[in-house]
Amino acid sequence: MSTGTKTATPPSSRFGTFALVFGICFAILYVVCDMAALPMFTYHPGTDRIDPGFARARPDEGPAMYWYGWIASAALGASILGGLAALLPENIRNKIPLALAWLVPVVLLPVLIYSLKFYWRWE
Amino acid sequence: MDFVFDYISVNTFWTILSIVHALLAVALLGALTHQAAAVFAPPRAGNTGGFVTHFRSVSGPRYATAVCVLWVLTFILGGWIYAKYRIYVRIPIEQEGFFKTLGAFELKEHLTTIGLGLLPFYWHLWKNARNAATDRARKWLTVVLAAICWYAFLTGHVVNNTRGFGL
Repeated sequence: MSTGTKTATPPSSRFGTFALVFGICFAILYVVCDMAALPMFTYHPGTDRIDPGFARARPDEGPAMYWYGWIASAALGASILGGLAALLPENIRNKIPLALAWLVPVVLLPVLIYSLKFYWRWE
Repeated sequence: MDFVFDYISVNTFWTILSIVHALLAVALLGALTHQAAAVFAPPRAGNTGGFVTHFRSVSGPRYATAVCVLWVLTFILGGWIYAKYRIYVRIPIEQEGFFKTLGAFELKEHLTTIGLGLLPFYWHLWKNARNAATDRARKWLTVVLAAICWYAFLTGHVVNNTRGFGL
């Protein structure tokens, strides 16, 4: 791979900080929203109805879906936190470890597997 | 969208959507695998080599935007199909008792969502690929995204084989 002349300056742009903090917070908030049942809304695919927040499936109306709501909740929270991080002074922005971008999803993997323990059964 | 059903059946429509979703996933898998190979095991200087050397000799930065666009498109189509999956695929698989298959698919849904959130930083890192301070983060983030993509692709394939098209 050729990338031309290399520099060794840390990524201090506001967008870079926003993107880093957004990615980290989005992953963490998504898992929290999943495990704590905190969707922004609930979608009922059988009737095409949307309820705000968490709503249980109604009898004879099919299942309720929370996935879209978890994404919306996590995206909102991560956008706010990413935006705030981007406003920090450059010397503080440079101290956020870049490795968190790939470490966080790796650390969250066993948490997600545990959250799905209902499915890992032998029949 | 109902006008579409004047020309094709409902089953055909969702089958086409599933196939397009799969084709986009194939393109994404290829792009990410090339890029991950290039960043994880770059060819040694002066090595003209064979297939493997050429496989990992791609210019990583040129793939970044395509990977982001393909991930987003694949995700949007998957999210659209997911509502139908919830009723017409998941429930029959539950009734058959294939819970581990369903769990693997739920994990795919979680991992691809987390990957979606990491795309802005991934894109930023590759657009600033000349910055040596970000080499390590760029390398491992690309490898993690490629691993997620492989897991998602294989799991989707297994679930599709479990349920089949047009049932």
